[in-house]
Formats: sequence, C-alpha cells, structure tokens
Amino acid sequence: MLHLHHTRLAPDAEAFEHEFASGTLNVVLGRNRSGKTNLCRLIAGLNCSAKGDINLDGEMISSLRPQARSVAVVFQAFVNYPNWTVAQNIASPMRAQGVARKNCSARVNQLAEVLGLENLLQRLPNELSGGQQQRLAIARALAQQARVLLLDEPLVNLDYKLREALVLELQGLLQQTDTTVIYTTTDPKDAFALGDQVLLLDDHCKLQAGSPLEVYQRPVGFIAADLMSDPGVNAFVTPATLVAAARHAAVRPEHVHLSAEALGSEFSSFDMQVQGQETSGDETFIHGMVDGNRWVIRRPGMVSVTPGQRLSVSVRTDDILRFGVA
Amino acid sequence: MALIELQELTFRYPGAAADTLTPVSLSVADSAAFALLGASGAGKTTLLNLLSGLLRPTSGRILFNGEDVSTWAGRQRNVAQVFQFPVLYESMNVADNLAFPLRARKFQAAAIKQRVEVIASELNITDQLGHKASQLSLFQKQLIAIGRALVRPDVSVVLLDEPLTAVEPKMKWRLRRTLRRVQEELGVTMIYVTHDQTEALTFADQVAVMGDGKVLQVDTPERIYNRPLHEFVGYFIGSPGMNFVPSEQLHSSLSLVPGTKRIGFRPEWATLHAQNSAHINGRVTAQQLQGTDGGGLVGVQRLATEAGDLAVRGNLQAQVGQTVGVRLEQYLCFSQQGQLLVTPHE
Repeated sequence: MLHLHHTRLAPDAEAFEHEFASGTLNVVLGRNRSGKTNLCRLIAGLNCSAKGDINLDGEMISSLRPQARSVAVVFQAFVNYPNWTVAQNIASPMRAQGVARKNCSARVNQLAEVLGLENLLQRLPNELSGGQQQRLAIARALAQQARVLLLDEPLVNLDYKLREALVLELQGLLQQTDTTVIYTTTDPKDAFALGDQVLLLDDHCKLQAGSPLEVYQRPVGFIAADLMSDPGVNAFVTPATLVAAARHAAVRPEHVHLSAEALGSEFSSFDMQVQGQETSGDETFIHGMVDGNRWVIRRPGMVSVTPGQRLSVSVRTDDILRFGVA
Repeated sequence: MALIELQELTFRYPGAAADTLTPVSLSVADSAAFALLGASGAGKTTLLNLLSGLLRPTSGRILFNGEDVSTWAGRQRNVAQVFQFPVLYESMNVADNLAFPLRARKFQAAAIKQRVEVIASELNITDQLGHKASQLSLFQKQLIAIGRALVRPDVSVVLLDEPLTAVEPKMKWRLRRTLRRVQEELGVTMIYVTHDQTEALTFADQVAVMGDGKVLQVDTPERIYNRPLHEFVGYFIGSPGMNFVPSEQLHSSLSLVPGTKRIGFRPEWATLHAQNSAHINGRVTAQQLQGTDGGGLVGVQRLATEAGDLAVRGNLQAQVGQTVGVRLEQYLCFSQQGQLLVTPHE
C-alpha cells in the first residue's frame, strides 16, 4: 500500500489523501500541468514543488533519498545508456544492487522476452525504434524490482499503432507483477485500457478516484466527466446563463445519436448546425453547434456530413449526466 | 497549380543496399487534396524530398503539368512547404512574415500588400497582422506558416509534412478544417504527409497508403477503410486494425473466392454468439471498455482462437475466460501474397 498523506501537488493547492493498493495498476488522468509529473517526482523523491508524507507498506519514505526508495521511474522522454547494449542496459540496476551475475543474466533474458526484446539484446539503443527504446526503458525499470513503478506518460510521442500494441503488452505485463504501478496520462482511453483504479487530477487537486467504469458512469462534476471523455463532454448551457452556474448537465459524445430510432421512449432531440467532421475509419467525430454550445458527436463507422448542414440529434434521458449546483 | 505525376520513381540513398522507394507511380490531380499515409520508415519523407527537389530520383520521372521537373532545382519547381513545427521569422510581425516569400521574389509592393490581405482574410488572421510572430501560440504560428506557403500565387503544389504535430489535440481539427476550406476556395494542390489515419482520412479526397517503400493503395478514404487492397492497409488503418484468419481454420464454410488464403474482417464486422453457430471459436482473454451504449458496456474484446488472436468490437456481454463463437457478418478474401480478391457478396 502506497499512502499519500496530506499531499499538496503545488504550494497553494488543496491537500489530499490517497491510497494506491499494492499490486494494482493505477492510472492518473489529468490535463497538461494538472500535477501528474509533480506527483511522480514527489513519490520518487525528486526535486519538485509538491509536498506530502508518503508511506509505503507502513514505512515513511518521504525523508529517504531517491536511491533508498523502492521506486522505479520511466519518464516520457525515455533514457537509456547509449553506449551499453540492450542486455547491459537491462542489467544495470541489478548490477548496481549487487545481484550475482548468474541470476542477473537469467532475469535479463526473462524481462527481454516479456518485452519482446529477446532478439535485440546485443544492439545499442540508437539501433532500436522508438517503441523498442521505450520498452527497454520499461524493462530497466522492472529490473529494479521496486515495489512501486511510476510511468509518466510513457507512450506519448509514439505513433498510434505502436501505442496500441504497447498498451496491450503493458496491460498483460503489469497485471502479472505484484508491483504497484502508477501510470499518468492525458488520454481517457489509457485509463479504460489499463486502469484497475483511476485518479483524476485537476489543477493540482484530487478530483475523483474509483474504477474506470465508476468514474465514467458517475462523475462527481463537469470537469470529472470532461476528463474521462474523448473528445470532451457536451455541455447544456444557454448563452444567457453563466457558464460556472450552468454546467449542471452534460452528455458524452458517444451518447448523441443521429437517429432517435432504438432510443426507446425517453429521449430529447436537438438541432445541430454542423461545422465539420473527423474520421478515423472506425469512428467519426461530428463537430457543430447546439443552442450556442460547441458539441461533438462520436459515431461508429464513416459518417458523411457537410459543414453548414443541420442535423436533428437525439440523446437518451438516461444518458444525460446531471451534477449538483457548484 | 499543377497536376503532379510520378512515373516509376525509385530512390536509393548513396551506399545503401536497397531502394528506399521501389517503383512508385501515382498521379495527384490539379487542385486535389491528397494524403500520403504510412508508418515511419515507409518512405513518405523521401517521396516528399523528391517532390520538393531536395533529392534527385535514382530513376523514373516527376511531372508537373506534364513537364519533366525531375532534374530541376527546388526553387524552379515553385513548391511551398509546411513543416511539423512552424518556421517563422520570430522578430517580424505576421504581415512581414506573410510578405517575405513575395519580397524575396521581387513582387511589386502593391501586389504584395493585396496578396497578404487576401491570404490573411482567408485564414481569418487579419486582426493579427501587426502582432510579432514570437507572441503567438503554436496554433497561430502554424496558421501563419500555412499562410506563408499559400501566399505566392504561382505555387505549383503545397507540401505539408505532419503539419499538426505541434498543435494541441483539441485544436487539431480546427486547423485541419481551415486548411481544407482554403484548399477548396483557392484551388490549391495539397499533398499532406502523415502517419495518422484520422488526419489522412479526414483531410484528403484521395489517400495513398505507403508501406516499405511502396504505394499499396490510392483510393477514397471510404474505400481505403472498407476495401483495403492489401492486408497491410487493413492492418494499418483502424484501431485495432483488421483481423486476419487463415481460411482453412474456419469451421463452417463461408463462401470464398478461389485462391483465398486468409480472410480479413474489421473488429466491428464480427459478432459473438454461442459456439454452434459460429465461424471461429475462441476464448475471451481481455476486454477493453470504451464506454456505454444504452447503459450496456461496449468496447473491444480480445479473443484467443485456434486461428490466432482476434479483436471484436461491440457489447461486452461475455466474460473474460468464457468460450464464445465468432460470427463474421462481413469479410474480405486475401491471396497468399496478401492481395485483396474480389469478394463473393459484391
């Protein structure tokens, strides 16, 4: 159990408590500059503006030097020793810990196999692709056998096919270990794909925590709903109302339908003026205005619309997220 | 603006053992919105450098409006480029940045002023003309960089090399929409290079998918997705990509084109059923939740089957570990070489 006690991610931010259960995969989801990297640096003991007491399995580690903490880190800009081979890189933390050479090489082979690096052991990092280099950085972090593994946006900068493959690999790999993993990201898809538990951060504060489905189905407020949505949620705000006071309801882009058929009896329809669309083939995002609000609709497959076109769109009453008065 | 044709174009870097581009032939219509889509290492940047004149082809020809420009210097080709990161003169204001390509080519002051105004109004940046470039956001800077590529009236083609990389995700679609509107209104031939399927399929009327130095398919976005001519195209486009299954592994017989070695199907082209009515049987190994539909959970289920690992999109009714049957509602037939064969239900 990793317990954050009275933690402030920025000097003037509200303090919070949080527990990461042992052996779980935790996704920390927040926008850029919401405090994700500060959280990682605080746990790892690196210099940062965050403050708080950290208790790992009953031991207070906040005053320990980084080297003395059982914490491994992989940053977004992955670092490997450029003049060492893949095998030497993976072995480096074990050699630093004084692990016997024989045990060390068995563990190197095992990690290389898990991360698909077994045929690359004699290569240098600059002879690897971006994805392979990042897997090497992860293998090196796992070789430390730390009780906590911090992955700070490890897949950003990789192209989407590689991300897709690595997310699958990581899911399998990290769920097998008894390491407590903390994975930070801006992408709600990662939270769904990887997280046993999700922690939402907003402006250096803890916003909500729970399983991905709980956070998705029962967001504590507009910002929480928006964070756990790709693209963001659609607000119901009339131009006459104040934004802050009127963010009482929202609907997710995937819950807006182009046809009211099959929606049952409880639904509302809206008039949307189309501004444009994006498609990835398997889904289409339609951008437009509804009652003065920017909305995005996410539909499966390829949908063809023209800018300026008017669409009648429908939302199931059950799919409208309602929030208490802020 | 120009019709761009590549005829049997090859390129090999000096000293390299193999061609980076194997013969590439394609044509980009005048005033077209065209995308080159491929993974890194597919040869996209090499092709772009050949078009802009930074590299000379090893063999083959490049024609602009029927004229062979293969040996022309970049300057003579009238090619404008937009790069991943905006390249601007930071100390100049927006108007001077836009005017720079015209001044460098000794256009008349009055003509320059008029053209800068046209482009600024086209991009809705007239109110920023007096701002220093260094004060702008990345999004605004990239918009100016695009404006600078468009400012010369005599440009043959605008080449865009991953132009949205530096722009934050929520702004991307706005910049892409502006780009597309300007492309249509000014009738500019644009070639847009990207590794991102959404960028390519959204921006272009015609998409060329590249893999391993070859152009594998040139087609409309809709056909690229629904009728990939090559297995790689099916795998590369879509997230997750197309599933492929050896045809001899299918339980009940689907109607197959003679010569079929593998069948391909998109994750949303299959449904899960009881085993007895299925084409393939397997076990659910993982579920990737993506949201809810009508309160029920939807996402991608990963299956381990005798025909390999598969991804099926839809309702997450089955449990991890459960044995299920996969029914193919739609599929394509591929040859031993991975080429699309005409399917029976067409």
